[in-house]
Amino acid sequence: MPTRIILDTDPGADDALAILLMLASPEIQLEALTTVQGNVNLEKTTRNALALLEFLNASHIPVAKGCSTPLIKPPHGEQGEEVHGKTGLGQAILPEPRSKVVEPHAVDYLIERFLAEPGELTLFAIGPLTNVALAIRKEPKFAQAVKELVIMGGAVRSGGNITPLAEFNIHEDPHAAHVVFNSGIPITLIPLDVTYKCLLTAKDVERLNGIDSPIAKFVRDVTADYMEFYLKYEGFDGCALHDPLTVAAVIAPELLSIEKHYVNVDISGGVSTGKTYADFMKVSKKPANMKVALGVKGREFVDLFVERLESFCRSRL
Amino acid sequence: MPKHIIIDTDPGIDDSLAILLALASPELVIDGIISVHGNVSTEQTTKNALSILELAKASHVPVYKGCDLPLVKESLLSPETHGDSGLGYAQLPEPVTQPKAGHGSDYIIEQIMSRPGEITLVALGPLTNIAIALRKEPRIVKNVKEVFVMGGAIQHTGNTTALAEFNTFVDPHAAHIVFHSGMPMILTPLDVTYQCIFMKDDLDRLLKIDSPITKYISDSTRFYMEFHDEYQSIEGCVINDPMTMALTFMPEICDYQDLVVDVDISTGVGLGNTFADFYNYGKKPKNMKVAMGVRPRMFMELFLKRMENLCSKIR
Repeated sequence: MPTRIILDTDPGADDALAILLMLASPEIQLEALTTVQGNVNLEKTTRNALALLEFLNASHIPVAKGCSTPLIKPPHGEQGEEVHGKTGLGQAILPEPRSKVVEPHAVDYLIERFLAEPGELTLFAIGPLTNVALAIRKEPKFAQAVKELVIMGGAVRSGGNITPLAEFNIHEDPHAAHVVFNSGIPITLIPLDVTYKCLLTAKDVERLNGIDSPIAKFVRDVTADYMEFYLKYEGFDGCALHDPLTVAAVIAPELLSIEKHYVNVDISGGVSTGKTYADFMKVSKKPANMKVALGVKGREFVDLFVERLESFCRSRL
Repeated sequence: MPKHIIIDTDPGIDDSLAILLALASPELVIDGIISVHGNVSTEQTTKNALSILELAKASHVPVYKGCDLPLVKESLLSPETHGDSGLGYAQLPEPVTQPKAGHGSDYIIEQIMSRPGEITLVALGPLTNIAIALRKEPRIVKNVKEVFVMGGAIQHTGNTTALAEFNTFVDPHAAHIVFHSGMPMILTPLDVTYQCIFMKDDLDRLLKIDSPITKYISDSTRFYMEFHDEYQSIEGCVINDPMTMALTFMPEICDYQDLVVDVDISTGVGLGNTFADFYNYGKKPKNMKVAMGVRPRMFMELFLKRMENLCSKIR
């Protein structure tokens, strides 16, 4: 039985790669996307979600449109376009989608789907957690209905990538993260501590492009600017597979070292706003509220990623 | 033309008096009532809203249930102020009517979007429902007529912490969202409500009319007066919410200032404190009208007369 997943996402270059990896993985049945502002604005993330599914012949997967701003903070604006390109998908050019979003707001769509089958569906959240937080507050039964929530976000021991301390998704809506972390949903967190160990290099992209496939070409186009950004700002050869690494929680959990901790996020408004921290020494005496990936076999995951995409490209030739 | 209002409320003794004042006022039509956590749990505030409507023979007014927790903070209720049931010593029968299906925040969105420019929101409790509605449907900002909010303490001391008023302290993050939303807003802070005290003499005047409503007002406010006496050394009780309701149709009760008002969400000692930038150091546009001066007797006469009318009709 494949794991049935609803994905809350802000595509976004690495979001696109996560969607690709999910569709390329037989262990996963991707049942719906809900969109949120984040890497780029909501109009663009929603358009990208629809366009991407059409490009991958998967437009049977419904898309619900979500929140256009974080709960409390103003959105970061167009900063994300430097990382993800003007459209959010780097240099990739996908045709305007013909399919439309489903009628309900993403918050209501999430509530509807999870309450219809309590304990059956897994939620993946790879953008700011605004939609998920609102679903939790609007429907008190939502949290109990979610089988598991896998989040890309946070930097526990590692430095931040948007402030010296904070990771982008959490920093973009720290209040939403605070709601989600303290909701009682069983969470697996995939923080920067592990995602920065999974670097997709230009060589990997070229290997994939050994196959003459529009999908392989898409991966090259969607990562080109992304890689340049990493080289310019962070001195890496390659780009971090932040969002795709969440998929490992289902398809290759053996690659992750997981610890259980009480993790929270700073919403105090000081310099560490948006910082995720784990109570490693149990000083707060609070019970663990999530599983956190703190180690990863990075190269093995990147190889798995490329292999999965290779078979996917071949199957679609 | 009467004003169409939706009341977002956590009854609550003074909330219930505000609902009664609205029902007694021909200037207003209550389109719906939305419950929220606050004075007591949402389970209880919903029940109380239904009971009050039944008491006043107004159960045609639909009630929608809203949020039962603040957006971000932990829950804080106030049974010491309003009693365990939320209505002091009053014991109203279990309501026969049920809340309507659908979430309170969605009712706000539907009504405002289907009747642009016509709906006045009157928010008497923590602002959670309205904050959620704003995040789900940002276009309500341009389509709501106006929003009256009971909350905050601008130059007045707080009533829940040294600095913060109860409604804004319970959900400061929701208040932050609403204050900065761009909706046309009129705030009734403690600065004016604490100048309007409902006294034992006022109650005795109402009790000359034999009505289940006067009995209710007596039973509920007796508890409320004991609270004010014990905690705040005030003789009588402060009826914040009816004052906010009165301003929707009799604005001349108060004097207003256009101000830049913000709420502290930084989780320090000032959490939930509402503060005005009187000298506009922040150079931000004014975001609300704030009632800063009041004619207490004008309000109290209005309230008493309206209650007398309503009580005479419902025996």
